[in-house]
Amino acid sequence: MSEAGGSGDFSSPRSSGSDCSRFSLPSTSRNGAVSEHKQHRLSGGLGRPRPPASEEEEEEEEPEMVWGRPRRPESAEATGGGDERSRRMIRNQYRELIYSVQRKPGALLTCNLFFSSITVSCAREAALDAQFLVLASNLGKEKANELHSEMTAFDSPAFAEDLLTFMGLNRIEVEENSDNEGISGGYLPSNAWHKLGAETEKYFRRAPSFHYMLGSFKSDPPVPRQRIERQKKTTGREEKRAMPAQLKKMEESHQEATEKEVERILGLLQTHFKNDPDIPISFFDLVIDPNSFARTVENIFHVSFIIRDGFARLKLDEDKLPIIGKIHLTSKA
Amino acid sequence: MSQRKRSKGSGFSQGEEGDDECVLSQTQAFSQGPRNLERHSQEQVDQKVSELVQFLLVKDQKKIPIKRSDILKKVIGEYKDVYSEIVNRAGRTLQQVFGLQLVEIDTKHHVYILISTLPRAEGENLRQDDQTAKLGLLTVILSFIFMKGNSAKDGAVWEFLRRLRVHPGERHEVFGDVKKLVMEEFVRQKYLEISPIPLTDPMEFKFQWGPRATKETSKREMLRFVAKIQGKDPAFWTSQFKEAEGSSGPL
Repeated sequence: MSEAGGSGDFSSPRSSGSDCSRFSLPSTSRNGAVSEHKQHRLSGGLGRPRPPASEEEEEEEEPEMVWGRPRRPESAEATGGGDERSRRMIRNQYRELIYSVQRKPGALLTCNLFFSSITVSCAREAALDAQFLVLASNLGKEKANELHSEMTAFDSPAFAEDLLTFMGLNRIEVEENSDNEGISGGYLPSNAWHKLGAETEKYFRRAPSFHYMLGSFKSDPPVPRQRIERQKKTTGREEKRAMPAQLKKMEESHQEATEKEVERILGLLQTHFKNDPDIPISFFDLVIDPNSFARTVENIFHVSFIIRDGFARLKLDEDKLPIIGKIHLTSKA
Repeated sequence: MSQRKRSKGSGFSQGEEGDDECVLSQTQAFSQGPRNLERHSQEQVDQKVSELVQFLLVKDQKKIPIKRSDILKKVIGEYKDVYSEIVNRAGRTLQQVFGLQLVEIDTKHHVYILISTLPRAEGENLRQDDQTAKLGLLTVILSFIFMKGNSAKDGAVWEFLRRLRVHPGERHEVFGDVKKLVMEEFVRQKYLEISPIPLTDPMEFKFQWGPRATKETSKREMLRFVAKIQGKDPAFWTSQFKEAEGSSGPL
């Protein structure tokens, strides 16, 4: 069905512009000979015979599109004086058309054959024409794809809802006004995506990632070493500075500390023997501190003073384990 | 023997368009002919095979495809002349020991990935980490793309993800920068192919399956996933079902 006007004008757009002829102008469009093709196409609609061109094939995929390109009217031929002005108008209209199609692809469907009085004959218009044609045909292709894609349409909102359900969406607290349409209320647990991921792994042949079981060899040691060195240096400096003034005092306090400890332990022993005079204390239970080796050594040191001074006695019991026993004042051990 | 070696060598040098050093040394080695095999002892070649297997396993951790140039530079080194034998034997080891297959997803630039030839193990205490969650997101995108006819516009994809509380502009508590994850990481791993649609203003993108996705899963599997989630039979979506059954994949 031909929408074109002048069917007999197929081969006669030659004299449209006084200063440009379709054969002499260099073409800026994709096809080398496009200017000639443009002329032919312009003068007719879909039903017209056309010279073969790559762009032609794309036209057939536009079932819904209303052909909105300029057409040459039946008998009008632009002449002389108003030519430059009309050409500028044409270019503007093309640019508007291209712009509006880019902005709103759906707008093409409503754009109309308002170019009925335009003749496009020169390279600049032809370039715009070509640009518009590419745009329109891409759009047509997309629309056509969307048309005959699924016989059973894929309901993506339902799929989204089912996914959320699978991920464990807790829908109990659904607010009445949801902020955005299409987003269901409810609380999605933090492991939602992990749960979904665990299910999806079954559908993939992914190579498991290779990781060393015990981790890689990390270079940690150097850092603590520096810290320890620094600490030692600082304490050393302090000690040296403090030593000359406090030397005597330190020795005294050291001695006092020992004596105090010894007396303390003696006190403990005496209390124990007062309560249970006949039960000897296991040496190990007395001196060993399970959390500190240094403390244990100190304890042994202090206990040795007690034994040296004769306040307690160290002997082996039936199992050959050392025990501390009371010294009876009557018999000196 | 020498003829076989020659054909291997010539095939190899033809592939190295982008690697000038390689071509040079290859022609040098090539000119030496059958002496190449004798140059390396069996133990040395075995060693190289083991090194390549380890290299491939470690490189695959991030799921970024492995380039042949990296293999040559980091592992093969002077053994370029027996490159194809090393690679073939490494592939056999990966298959027989680990059940993994070395697949070339880009024959022009020689890029490889590792995929598993065994079905995924099922069990309770399998490792679940960030990669698991990311795979969930990826599967959602891949299945969406397939059900929409193997191609989807970025607007449609993000609109769909919005329903799952994933927004490109916001930081996600599991995925972080989701837009970067989808547009960069998944593309670099060759799971997705994102290409700009020409003549769109503002720029729009087209989402499609990447080569890794086609190798690691299939349309049939993605349809099975959708069917399971929605509690329907895969044949419910007739055209997708036909397409899925028609395509023959690894699964």
